[in-house]
Amino acid sequence: MADPAVMAGGFSAIVGRSGCGKATSSPAENYQLARRRTLQVVVSSLLTECGFESAEKATVESLTEMIQSYISEVGRCAKAYCEHTARITPTLSDAVVTLNEMGFNVDTLPGYAKRSQRMVITAPPVTNAPVIPKALIAGQKRTHPSHIPSHFPEFPDPHTYIKTPTFREPVSDYQVVREKAASQRRDVERALTRFMAKTGETQSLFKDDVTAFPLIAERPSSIPYLSALLPSELELQTLEETDSSEQDDQTDSENTPVNNLNDDPGADKENSVLLAGGVVPSVKVSEENMIDNPYLRPVKKPKVRRKK
Amino acid sequence: MHEVKMNRKKDKGFESPRPFKLTHQVVCINNINFQRKSVIGFVELTIFPTVVNLNRIKLNSKQCRIYRVRVNDLEAPFIYNDPTLEVCHHESKQRNLNYFSSAYTAAVSAVDPDAGHGELVIKVPSELWKQGDEMNVLKVYIEFSLDQPKGGLHFVVPDVEGSMAERGAHVFSFGYQNSTRFWFPCVDSYSELCTWKLEFTVDASMVAVSCGDLVETVYTHDMRKKTFHYVLPIPTAASNISLSVGPFEILVDPYMHEVTHFCLPQLLPLLKHSMSYLHEIFEFYEEILTCRYPYSCFKTVFVDEAYVQVSSYASMSIFSTNLLHSAMIIDQTPLTRQCLAQALAQQFFGCFISRMSWADEWVLKGISGYIYGLYLKKTFGVNQYRHWIKEELDKMVEYELKMGGVLLHPTFGGGKDKDNPTPHLHFSIKHPHTLSWKYYKMFQCKAHLVMRLIENRISMEFMLQVFNKLLSLASTASSQKYQSHMWSQMLVSTHSFLKSISNVSGKDIGPLIKQWVDQSAVVKFFGSFAFNRKRNVLELEIRQDYTSSGTQKYVGPIKVTVQELDGSFNHTLQIEENSLKHDIPCHSKSRRNKKKKIPLMNGEEVDMDLSAMDADSPLLWIRIDPDMSILRKVEFEQADFMWQYQLRYERDVVAQEESILALEKFPTPASRLALTDILEQDQCFYKVRQGACFCLAKIANSMMSTWTGPPAMKSLFTRMFCCKSCPNIVKTNTFISFQSYFLQKTMPVAMAQLRDIQNLCPKDVLNFILDLIKYNDNRKNKFSDNYYRAELIDALTNSLTPAISISNEVRTVDNLNGDVRLILEEITRSLNMEKLLPSYRNTITVSCLRAIRMLQKNGHIPSDPSLFKSYAEYGHFVDVRVAALEAVVDYTRVDRSSVELQWLLNMVQNDPAHYIRHKILSMLGKNPPFTKAAESPLCNEALVDQLWKLMNSGTSHDWRLRCDAVNLYYTLFGLTRPSCLPLPELGLVLNLKEKKAVLNPTIKPEQGLDTTEMTGNTMGVHIPVMGFTSSLDEGLITMETVSSVSMSSGVAPPPQGLKRKLDSVVGPLGSSSPEPGQVLQEEDTSKKFKIRFNTVEEDEIDMESPHDSQAFIHHHLNILERPSTPGKEPPAVDQAVLSLPVTPLPSSFGKESTSSSKHSGDHHHHHHHHEHKKKKKKKHKHKHKHKHESKDKERDSHAFSNSPASGRSVRSPSMSD
Repeated sequence: MADPAVMAGGFSAIVGRSGCGKATSSPAENYQLARRRTLQVVVSSLLTECGFESAEKATVESLTEMIQSYISEVGRCAKAYCEHTARITPTLSDAVVTLNEMGFNVDTLPGYAKRSQRMVITAPPVTNAPVIPKALIAGQKRTHPSHIPSHFPEFPDPHTYIKTPTFREPVSDYQVVREKAASQRRDVERALTRFMAKTGETQSLFKDDVTAFPLIAERPSSIPYLSALLPSELELQTLEETDSSEQDDQTDSENTPVNNLNDDPGADKENSVLLAGGVVPSVKVSEENMIDNPYLRPVKKPKVRRKK
Repeated sequence: MHEVKMNRKKDKGFESPRPFKLTHQVVCINNINFQRKSVIGFVELTIFPTVVNLNRIKLNSKQCRIYRVRVNDLEAPFIYNDPTLEVCHHESKQRNLNYFSSAYTAAVSAVDPDAGHGELVIKVPSELWKQGDEMNVLKVYIEFSLDQPKGGLHFVVPDVEGSMAERGAHVFSFGYQNSTRFWFPCVDSYSELCTWKLEFTVDASMVAVSCGDLVETVYTHDMRKKTFHYVLPIPTAASNISLSVGPFEILVDPYMHEVTHFCLPQLLPLLKHSMSYLHEIFEFYEEILTCRYPYSCFKTVFVDEAYVQVSSYASMSIFSTNLLHSAMIIDQTPLTRQCLAQALAQQFFGCFISRMSWADEWVLKGISGYIYGLYLKKTFGVNQYRHWIKEELDKMVEYELKMGGVLLHPTFGGGKDKDNPTPHLHFSIKHPHTLSWKYYKMFQCKAHLVMRLIENRISMEFMLQVFNKLLSLASTASSQKYQSHMWSQMLVSTHSFLKSISNVSGKDIGPLIKQWVDQSAVVKFFGSFAFNRKRNVLELEIRQDYTSSGTQKYVGPIKVTVQELDGSFNHTLQIEENSLKHDIPCHSKSRRNKKKKIPLMNGEEVDMDLSAMDADSPLLWIRIDPDMSILRKVEFEQADFMWQYQLRYERDVVAQEESILALEKFPTPASRLALTDILEQDQCFYKVRQGACFCLAKIANSMMSTWTGPPAMKSLFTRMFCCKSCPNIVKTNTFISFQSYFLQKTMPVAMAQLRDIQNLCPKDVLNFILDLIKYNDNRKNKFSDNYYRAELIDALTNSLTPAISISNEVRTVDNLNGDVRLILEEITRSLNMEKLLPSYRNTITVSCLRAIRMLQKNGHIPSDPSLFKSYAEYGHFVDVRVAALEAVVDYTRVDRSSVELQWLLNMVQNDPAHYIRHKILSMLGKNPPFTKAAESPLCNEALVDQLWKLMNSGTSHDWRLRCDAVNLYYTLFGLTRPSCLPLPELGLVLNLKEKKAVLNPTIKPEQGLDTTEMTGNTMGVHIPVMGFTSSLDEGLITMETVSSVSMSSGVAPPPQGLKRKLDSVVGPLGSSSPEPGQVLQEEDTSKKFKIRFNTVEEDEIDMESPHDSQAFIHHHLNILERPSTPGKEPPAVDQAVLSLPVTPLPSSFGKESTSSSKHSGDHHHHHHHHEHKKKKKKKHKHKHKHKHESKDKERDSHAFSNSPASGRSVRSPSMSD
């Protein structure tokens, strides 16, 4: 649960501006807004230092962006260096290496820090550090076994890698289960049918009170046998669960008639190429099934009509 | 008329009723328009004349619009006359069913292809028949079209967006028996075989499936369509040709690559699953018949709105798409397999082997039904098989006892209608097309049962040898060329079948055939017994009832099985004329030593608790005819403990089912225990256990006051299907054991039939069922629970009892009973859920609709048909529609609503789905709004007229529907004049003047009038003079030879209603009791006079049956002219029409009268004039004039129908004058 929040935070820290324009109120956003403002102040003061009297807002923004990227990059690299050496907290040397790596001469840094015209910048206002949402603790975390040093990170929650315990004991009393299943189904059915009855046309058994036992009005269908003969989707599901082997050969031979039908409209007049194309699939079929059945044979072309 | 085909003793070979032989037919349908529902095409029949100078060709064709006919490239004139379009051609107020039935039979006979007739008569151009003795091949080319066919072809065009293929539009042929004439001209007979070339040009996105081998598929030049070329080299009857066209998905059977399955778009996964076992059925039949499937390919097509579930044609079968199912469906699986097995059995017997005549139909239906039974036995087990046999036997016996006999092999000797073999029926069994549908079903049922009896007699091995012989003969014949007369070997006749049997088995099964095939009716036994302790003899008494309708006397052997303490013993008794009692010696002494195990029939030895039995008797149980080797009903009396032993220990499911039925009458704790034990026994056949559930419910209700413990079956159900830890909750569904599944479904339904002292369903039971619904959990099940849930709703329905009625109070929500409210809530919720998650075949909707109707009927909610009517509309799944219609039919009866009756009848006339139309009429017949026995406000003249019109002309496109309408008419009004009709005016006036009113006189004049009217119009095969023979006997003596059916059709009892009405009319006039004698005599004399007149005329003028049809035909052509010639009339046709009256046509080439030659010239002349007159006069006048003649003619055609065809040569010149 914690991870996504962190990720989101990190993401917006790098992208920076994305959260800026919008008035947001989450603590994490506030925290970042405050820091960004400080960065803007830094940029502005540097500009003043360099002798600018004013700057366009966009310029300041761009510079802020650049400086933020730079700092972020330094941080990221330093972290990488430190992790590379199997530590979790960056040290000074990590920072130095990083800066060197990025082409920054570290030796100039102390001089620059002590320059005379530097301006003092107030620390960013104290805002509540973004609260990292606490991960839901499920179960007892394992302690490190003896061969793992204690500074190593803790094991994650057991449910993430051992098993996820359900949070309630299942009701084991058969009678109650059946009772519940039955009444649930009945409730659903009743609600559903009532809804259908309310929203659609109904027929009634009583003349005095048409709403008493509403029957969903029958609707004649143009092809009534389809719905009466084909299993409903619900039933099909059950069937699939119990028996899935049949499905395969079903699709297999369904192709047969399809092929046969397909080559009818596909075949074009006087186009011998297409005609050959039309024959191919049925040849395939016969190869596959080795069935010689007159109904699977290709339809013949009419004989060329003699001109009268 | 029927001598050729009916007489099996004389005629062994097949003799065609036609003067030509059809050898080959081309059917080419080059345009099928789904938008307009029309079809254009042509046929070409290649025929060989078998006589010199063949000048007339009769073909069958209905509803086709024929543009031109050519014979060998010469334009040929033709007439098209379909007398079945309108059976009675005049506005008769008679409305008498007897009259209609005979007229209808006459009409069907007049175009019967089995007798060589047809609707389409083509005159062979004289250039061709004058060629001399040489008999050349004739090619008859007929161009035709169909526009919105009402029968024969069915278009299904869903009303959605997209192209026809995307919409799933399809068309298929259908019909009841030989109905191919509805969609192309042909010889529509099962006995006229020929080879076929079939071509269908359809849209490129569609597939045309038809009979025979698909030779090639070719694009048309514009590449928009393709033509399917089929060749059927096996000689096949036109009636076995079919077609279906649609955007079908194609599945080649993975096991048999020559078998292809077709289904509508999106259903392929279902098709795959449903067809996955077809190859097993193939293997089974091929193995038992030791014969390969006769055709080189087989196709199954699944279509929507099918006419019947299964219909078989040569090398293809058309099924209802509703038979398809996924792997999750349990209940439909066996049903679909059974349908496939039936279809395949009919491929061998019915399609490949065809029948010689209608009278031989039973052989084919019998064999296909029989081998289907063998398949059932092999696949579903002996229990299922025996259960099925019992079920079929019971069904058939019940029908025969009610309706009075089903005749498998009718013989119509001498062509006289007098020997109507089934006078008890209100329809003729002479033709398949006049049969009631129910009768035909029972006919099929009886046919296969009789085959089983034959098997019992000659052994199954011989039986299969006979089938194999028939098949191999047919296969040899099928590969022959047409010149040889071998093709008739592919036709089976009763004679050839019986001959095969005697050749193969060497046994004489004559008596068996005589008893069950040549004779209708079944046997009804009553059995009882006494044990004579002194002689140690079982005195068995078997009585028969052979006097009531549908029964016959049985003489011969009967098997009786007696289970004694020492074992089971079979005895064959001889049932003779006068012996009722049979003494059967017992093998075992009554038992003291009870330790020994008791051997059963199957060799098993079991321990029994013998304390229940009679200490003096060694008899455990007795069974009469245990193998069902007689078509019978047995009512046997034995003590309750014997039935209980039989139920527990007899291993035959039939015996178990019989004992369950018997135990209903013994509501005792012992019966209860026996039934519960059976319920718990999981080795017991599940259908027996299901039966035990219902029996237990009945017993529990009878034992209400002494019943102890929880409601019947509740604890049993709990133990079997509920959780151990919480007995009130049902286990989650798995349905792994199907036996348990079926029991689980049935038990709640049976339990809901329980009643307490107040005659209410016990609260316990209702809550129990509600809990079952509530806790039903199908999530872990690989099968669907739709049938189970539907049955739980059925259980709720069963639990309903009539509401406590507060007189005539309107049912409102507020005064709804609490339990009913709960039930209603379940139903509402289930029905609503179906809209969101529809179940397979919408079984739950169906159950809910039934439940709602039950709620209405019991007065819980207001009775209102509007909900059902909306569900019955076109556009719902067919099962739902049928359920809704059933409710409307029920409402119509209970509320006597004429509005709903009209609505139903309207749907019968207009609904697109043929099955629904049929179903409505049969449901109305089953649950009639009123019957002939009772008065009803619904019974009025308008209804009579409407129904009359429906059967007279409204249903001419569908044989089955017409017969349904006849059935309904019979149920509502009976055979005679409907009682609600106003009395005939003339008769009434006359009688009032004389102050004499009796039933007969009032009707008789009508009768007379009627004869006069009708004869002029029917094709006139005979004159039906209905019913009232008792009074007319004297007058009709001369007539007797003339009109035959009429006389034998029996004396109809005077309708009650009519009598009553008459009385009320006469009453106020203060007349004394009427004197029927006087009036009667008067009437009689007038009648006599008329008849005499007829006889005189008849002597003078010898007319032939075709002539009287002339007027009718002409009349018809006038009517036909409009529809049959769209736009500009081709001159050829015009001429044909005009020239016709000048050349009257013989209707039966083979059977013309010898004596007619001399008079015929005269007569033609006379007739000729008539025709001319007719043009000037108005039609009805003409009709009237015509009446006598036609009657006589008609008689003539009968009288001479047996004589050989000899008058033709003499006559033909006269024809051309």
